[in-house]
Amino acid sequence: MNEKLALLRESGRARIAEAASVAELRNVKASLIGKNGALSEIMREIPRLGPALRAETGRQANELKDFFTRLIEARDEELQLSDSAISADFDLTVPGTPPPGGALHPITQMCYDLNDAFKSLGFEIFQEPEITSELYAFDNLNFPPDHPARESMDTYWIAGHDTGRGGDRLCLRPHLTGASVRYMRTHKPPCRFVYPGHVYRNETTDARHERAFFQYEALIVDREMPFAAGKVMVKSVLDKVFGRDVPVRMRVGFFPFVEPGFEIDMECLVCGGTGCGVCKQVGWIEIMPGGTPHPNVLRAAGLDPERYTGFYVNIGLDRLVMMRYGVDDVRLFHSADLRFLSQFK
Amino acid sequence: MRISLDWIKDYVELPSGLEVSRLARDLTMSTVEVEGASELRKRFSHIVIGEVLDVLPHPNADKLRICRTDIGGGETKEIVCGGINLTPRMRVAVAKPGAVVRWHGEGEPVEIKNARLRGVESYGMICASSEIGLFDLFPFEEEATIMDLSEFGAPNGTNLADALGLDDVILEIDNKSLTNRPDLWGHYGIARELAALYGLPMKPLPAFAPRDGAAGMNVAIEDPELCARYIGVKIEGVSPKPSPFKAQSRIWRVGMRPINSLVDITNYVMLAVGQPAHAFDSDNIEGHIAVRRARAGERLLLLNGRELSLTESDLVIADDEGPVGLAGVMGGAKDSVLDTTERVILEIANFEPIGLRRSAQRHELRTEASMRNEKGIDPQRADLALGLAMEMFRDEFPDMRVTGFDDNYPRELKRASIRVSLSWMARRMGTRIDDAEVRGMLERLGFGVRMDGDDMNVVVPSWRSTGDVSIPDDIMEEAARLRGYENFEPAAIVTSFEGAVNQRDADADRGIREYLSFRCGMQEVFTYPWVRGEFLSVTSDTTEGLLEISTPPSPNERFIRSSLLPNILKAVAENTRFFGEFAIYESGQVFYDADYSSPYDARESLPRGARSVAGAVVGRQSSASDLFRRAKGIVEWMPRYVHMAPFEFARGEKPVWADGAACLDVRLDHETVGKLALLSKKSALACGIKSSAVTLFELNIDSLKPHASRTNRYTRLPEYPRVEYDISMTFDETSEWEEIERTARGKKHPGGGDLVKSVSFVGVYRGKQVPDGKKSVTMRLVMGSDKKTLTSDEIEAAAGQIVKRLSKTLGGELRS
Repeated sequence: MNEKLALLRESGRARIAEAASVAELRNVKASLIGKNGALSEIMREIPRLGPALRAETGRQANELKDFFTRLIEARDEELQLSDSAISADFDLTVPGTPPPGGALHPITQMCYDLNDAFKSLGFEIFQEPEITSELYAFDNLNFPPDHPARESMDTYWIAGHDTGRGGDRLCLRPHLTGASVRYMRTHKPPCRFVYPGHVYRNETTDARHERAFFQYEALIVDREMPFAAGKVMVKSVLDKVFGRDVPVRMRVGFFPFVEPGFEIDMECLVCGGTGCGVCKQVGWIEIMPGGTPHPNVLRAAGLDPERYTGFYVNIGLDRLVMMRYGVDDVRLFHSADLRFLSQFK
Repeated sequence: MRISLDWIKDYVELPSGLEVSRLARDLTMSTVEVEGASELRKRFSHIVIGEVLDVLPHPNADKLRICRTDIGGGETKEIVCGGINLTPRMRVAVAKPGAVVRWHGEGEPVEIKNARLRGVESYGMICASSEIGLFDLFPFEEEATIMDLSEFGAPNGTNLADALGLDDVILEIDNKSLTNRPDLWGHYGIARELAALYGLPMKPLPAFAPRDGAAGMNVAIEDPELCARYIGVKIEGVSPKPSPFKAQSRIWRVGMRPINSLVDITNYVMLAVGQPAHAFDSDNIEGHIAVRRARAGERLLLLNGRELSLTESDLVIADDEGPVGLAGVMGGAKDSVLDTTERVILEIANFEPIGLRRSAQRHELRTEASMRNEKGIDPQRADLALGLAMEMFRDEFPDMRVTGFDDNYPRELKRASIRVSLSWMARRMGTRIDDAEVRGMLERLGFGVRMDGDDMNVVVPSWRSTGDVSIPDDIMEEAARLRGYENFEPAAIVTSFEGAVNQRDADADRGIREYLSFRCGMQEVFTYPWVRGEFLSVTSDTTEGLLEISTPPSPNERFIRSSLLPNILKAVAENTRFFGEFAIYESGQVFYDADYSSPYDARESLPRGARSVAGAVVGRQSSASDLFRRAKGIVEWMPRYVHMAPFEFARGEKPVWADGAACLDVRLDHETVGKLALLSKKSALACGIKSSAVTLFELNIDSLKPHASRTNRYTRLPEYPRVEYDISMTFDETSEWEEIERTARGKKHPGGGDLVKSVSFVGVYRGKQVPDGKKSVTMRLVMGSDKKTLTSDEIEAAAGQIVKRLSKTLGGELRS
């Protein structure tokens, strides 16, 4: 009998240790200490033993039962902890759950990047109404009275307010520059500010022409501001947009509100300046006008051009964003088409 | 504008070894934008002069001939050709294999290869002028006329470009960059600029001095404000024969068409010096020439056959009978040069540009002359044009006689005079250029300079005195651009900081967009400020109070938005074609034809405007209530995340587009600042939205109140545990959550018995276990004490109180 119990002890210990799962352990438990288990069978034989043996064997059998119970509990806990919380056939290649979609418009994204860059240089952000007057869209900006941009084939005038002159003639603003005079009239120089926003022109639209577009303009006004310092502003913009050092050049250009005025070119990013189809073989791409505010503009802002000077840059953000991402149709920006917009995160 | 470098060399000897790319770059940097430079001869590679030796019939084709042709270098080739004017000894252009031509002058360019034509081997092709782009120089009337080059002396085998003197480079100048430089229209002006850039002398143009007593011409100028100068020269003994080939070729190279010598001289002069000129038949002029305003109702038949009805705003050239030309724009039919013309009047005149441009626009005429005249030309340029024109007349018609001359010059141009401080200039440039260098550069550009201590007295040349150069800044620009902007080192921006930029409004505007995009998963869109009629009529039953564009993008888009919703609806409708569930928003300005004010300047009056933000949450129709809750959540939580004063919701007036069952006002301090509502089915259908539900919101950003900084205060963490306890009760359908919540929270118990810390909404259930007309509402209580750990009896008692209150007040029944 003793021998039987000793054998059971050894085989039982081995089977508990080998049980690989909770379910298997349950079976092992039943076969060892269950109602019809091996130990129960032995215990059923005890009454038939001699009284001398009976007590001792009974004690041994009970001790073995406790022993198995402890082992099974320990093994059970071990199996529970090493068991996976997820089913064994879980497919690891299923994609992750995406975070909520949604994004800023690609032009807003670029605008905020530039705002951050200019704010770090101490610039304020300014906004004016998109409906403005001829006084602010043209007169203050040194546009001659007969300038073609003042006509309805270029500018969207407001019906019923399109016949007067100056402050009474209203339009959707054709450029941002008028806002600079609004700012200067209400802020003491020296000042530095950006005033990004939408502008509108009466155009026939195609892949390269839009009626609504987004400009980014910046102005510094100070006592001393040699035009060569304007290059710093230009480079701040481009390095931010393109994320790397972009060679620029300033060349002669004419715009009524600046004197001297510049066309500012950047090196063609496609060919690196060696000439290609994108830059019409010249290696440079015209990206923005800029220059020193014309004395008449400073006067319109109530500033003395003898005392103050400055530098403007005016970026067509649509075009830069098109170049940045390789977008080939400017009309997509105002299309509200999610197939397009959702590509920019 | 096209510029021929060959022509430029008439006026300035360019440095030897100057590459075209360098010249184009220098002009671009300092003067005007050169968009391209093309070598003319490239168009004629592999095309040579050949001489037809025999013209033999083709054995298999009636219309084809076999031409034995000497193509130089001792080579004779057989070429199959369908030309109708082929004769032996005729000299022709032979396109050898490799040449590029257009068949019959049409279609895409093709490369010539050896070919068999109807069984006969043919070497290359004998060309018609249209096939190699020379039709305007060698026009023909009948199809299949071969270009006859017998007059040209070059030996056989000479490249065609050399034989015709077409070895030239054509610069393409961006007209936009010429806007403020009328002096640069024409070869002479560009030559002058190049001479200044490279420090070279200009060659003089011929001058014309009329012999004394050449009377017979008397021009009356009625209004000198409109015509500063008019030169008329009566010339006899001329005829409209073809111009010399060189003149024809130059006119053609820069994009015009040679006509006959009389017309060509005027065009040549215009292209040379930028001053338009006109020649008309003097036989058809009655009496004297007058420059005057047209009388209302006068009519003018133009030389292009169009008849104009004139107004007093039009300036005309007239004889005693009436108008004979629209001044500076186009001549009339009556006096146009005909085949029989023997006597002409040469007109070189200076007209006021603004009225001329308006006149040309009104009559929808845009000519080479009007284009130049409307830029504002200095009246002294007429002298250059006159000298050059008269030399050409004399060269082409040695027997011609000047029988009349009048130079009526009532309004002489005053040359501008400007005083510039050299130290000021140095400050503006950021560097001091040597005084003598500045002076030298200005003098090269034709400015008169007198130094006077720190000042320069500068007299502007006549050709820059038309308004182009008038202030010291212009003089600085002249010196800087001639030095080359790339030769200025970038300077640092020097400034003083007075404090960090702190702009609450700008930050809130950005905060709202970032909240909607990043927290709420909405996509920002841009739309136009004008709205389409069909969407406008959905969001509003009137167009009253809307601003209108006087020349709108289309008749259906004439109103300016006073709400962003119509365009948001359009965007929703278009996107539902591709997406079932999405959320979009726009932040932008809106306007009303009302409350005009002068916020910036008393001289202007601007309409009321506002910054607005509007969004749409779109999904399946069956999930309308979820969409509404999502949109409500977006609006509800915005103030918390953007750091603004919080909103309240209230039932308000239903907008026409809204579903009355799901429509709320968004309020701030009892003022309505926005709307939130489900789009009604009828409105959705009107927008073309068929199977989606749309919840819309719009807020007036200007009414929101951003906090100066982050404002929420910290709450101490509880010392004793908190317990969550869910209760589900049935209520009448008419009971609203706000009421249930208020009742559940109850009044604060005296003596600190407020064990219930919060009551929050979990869900609503309607179904089998809930009777009709009832709904089951599940709420979650958070309970706890600040003094001890609650026992389960205390928790049950507190929950029981709430259940009792809800049953008593709202008739709620606890579900088991």
